[in-house]
Amino acid sequence: MAAKTRVMKRPERKSSYVRATLQGMALTFRHLVSTVTTGEAATIKTMQYPEEKWALSPRWRGTHIMEQHEDGRPKCVACGLCPTICPANCIRLVPGEDDMGNRYPIVYEIDEFRCIFCGMCQEVCPVEAIHVGNHYENGEYSRDNFVYDLDRLMKQTHPSTLLWDPSDPAGE
Amino acid sequence: MAEEATPTELITCTIDGMVLQVPKGTRIIDAAAQLGIDILHYCYHAALSAPAQCRMCLVEVEKAPKLMPACVTTVMDGNVIHTQSEKSLKSREGTLEFYLVNHPLDCPVCDQSGECKLQDYVAVEGRAMGRLAEPKRIIGRDDFGGDVLYEGDRCIMCTRCVRFMREVAQDERLGVVARGHRMAIDTFFEEGMEGNIWADNVVDICPVGALVSKDFLHKARSWDLDRTPSICPNCTQGCNVTLQVRDDEVMRLKPRPNEEVNSYWMCDYGRLNYSWINRGGRIEAPLVREGERLVPTSWSDALVRLSELAKGAAGGVSAVVSPFMSNEDLGAARRVIAALGGGEGVFRVERGEEIVLPGFPQLALREDRAANVHGAELLGFTRAGDDKGKGGLQNAAVHGGVVFVMGDELADAPADFGTGASLFIYVGHVLSPAARNAHFVLPATTFAEMEGSFTNVHHRVQRFWPALHVPAMARPAWQILGVLLAGVRGVDAPATPADAFSLLGELRAEYGELRFSDLGAQGRPLPRLGALAETMGD
Repeated sequence: MAAKTRVMKRPERKSSYVRATLQGMALTFRHLVSTVTTGEAATIKTMQYPEEKWALSPRWRGTHIMEQHEDGRPKCVACGLCPTICPANCIRLVPGEDDMGNRYPIVYEIDEFRCIFCGMCQEVCPVEAIHVGNHYENGEYSRDNFVYDLDRLMKQTHPSTLLWDPSDPAGE
Repeated sequence: MAEEATPTELITCTIDGMVLQVPKGTRIIDAAAQLGIDILHYCYHAALSAPAQCRMCLVEVEKAPKLMPACVTTVMDGNVIHTQSEKSLKSREGTLEFYLVNHPLDCPVCDQSGECKLQDYVAVEGRAMGRLAEPKRIIGRDDFGGDVLYEGDRCIMCTRCVRFMREVAQDERLGVVARGHRMAIDTFFEEGMEGNIWADNVVDICPVGALVSKDFLHKARSWDLDRTPSICPNCTQGCNVTLQVRDDEVMRLKPRPNEEVNSYWMCDYGRLNYSWINRGGRIEAPLVREGERLVPTSWSDALVRLSELAKGAAGGVSAVVSPFMSNEDLGAARRVIAALGGGEGVFRVERGEEIVLPGFPQLALREDRAANVHGAELLGFTRAGDDKGKGGLQNAAVHGGVVFVMGDELADAPADFGTGASLFIYVGHVLSPAARNAHFVLPATTFAEMEGSFTNVHHRVQRFWPALHVPAMARPAWQILGVLLAGVRGVDAPATPADAFSLLGELRAEYGELRFSDLGAQGRPLPRLGALAETMGD
């Protein structure tokens, strides 16, 4: 379900990066010298990423997480509300019934590349199964890998977003 | 009948401040409906008796000591009725709260969700929060057999299903068991609903998700479905239906009310026999024979070449058509046969036992299991083959002149079907081995992809509308044949289904007296023939 893309051919002569690289190096060098000459060495502005990371707001919305029951089944009941409300149309759902007579998603896929991270799927979910996550590092080698299936959504380890204060869910 | 002869006495009443005159004996709920006031109800159904047990339709009638059930109380002269008064609103709110005492509120997993009366009414007039502290009782799920599944917890005991089986199907297979909060609907014997072909109607009339179709279980959400008015193609009764479509695939058929044809009902044979409409592997482009091969080409190229060949056609026509094609298609086929030198035309149809719905005897699953058998007969095609819709091709198979096949799949045709023909034209949907012998293969649309009409068993002409996208280059057969005729004879080709329908009058005068736009969503009987069939029915 990954989005179809076309790779544009760029003119090779006009895309030299040598000049931009030298400009960047010059800027870095200026800052290196300025810390010594102005005595600002004590206030280093560089963050030691990735060892150090930004603290995210609890309402930050990133890639999704599927909550699960203790026995490893997804909490999702395949009601179809998230694909209905999704403004980017990036959720694909095929409902089915398991041996216990429970409705569950046979297929549940989210195209994180299409997703606009509005969080409406989490808001609409009647069983608190799908959540947007408190997470911002996403890198893949292909667009297809951004289509998260049910298995992958359940294996996500990052914390989920708090769209509302749990002690005051109605915002009163 | 005697009642209708005497002039009915009109009485005046006031409902929600609007004054209305209705015949004596009209129920409040029907009188209110005439004013566009929807009185909430569960147990009342226009085609069933009213037990007044759901207590949802209670309205305030001035000078009456208590609230009156609108589904059984008849309007009296001078009644002043309030459906939205504080008293009736409060009563309905209380009733709804009682319904939700044991209702599981499993809307996310319930198939009825989105078209559920309990959901709708609670949203409009129910309480925002429940007050129940005790646990809900659990009845669980019961397989009723056939296509019907019972979810006991969701049931609100309106008993519409019980009354349908008793009064309309007249095959009492459902009953109410136990009492109080343990009350449930159940079957009496091991067989359950199995074997009654009207069983799925209880799923339609169930106002909540207590009775659900196993075929449709978890398949689609009701708000994802596009609904197109159509005609059931599976027998000559021509029940009015809605094709419910998601992602260009028919998900289910639901009956559409028409008092002249099917009331509110339809049979399970027609309802569940829809997978053929979704079949893939269709012909996608006009194919023209070049030596041993069939080569895809454009419509203009195919039809120009065909009309050139057709002008010199000799030896007469042997035609095989399908009774699943519309009146317009069959009429165009008849005109093409005449233009190519005339000849015989046959159709083949599967036959089965006729099963009448006892409570509404005009409705039956008819013997002929294709929608337009009577249209084909009126337009001069004759029946061939056996009761399985096979055989009867012996004349066409060896015909030396023009062989013309429209819609029929030729699944059982001999491998050399039409090889001796001077010109073999195949207008159809799928390319069976016999169809590969054709000189011209022209892709046509099915009834679900086009606008047109069928003629039913009572000679009632009924329209259907397109519900699915047309596969690739396919076109309605009347359009293909109309352009072909324009090439052969130089007449104007019909541009719209209404044009094609108006041309039917030349073949059969009765069609000429009807106008396509007048058929509406409920159809019209063919003059003389339609009336004849109805008196015979009586």
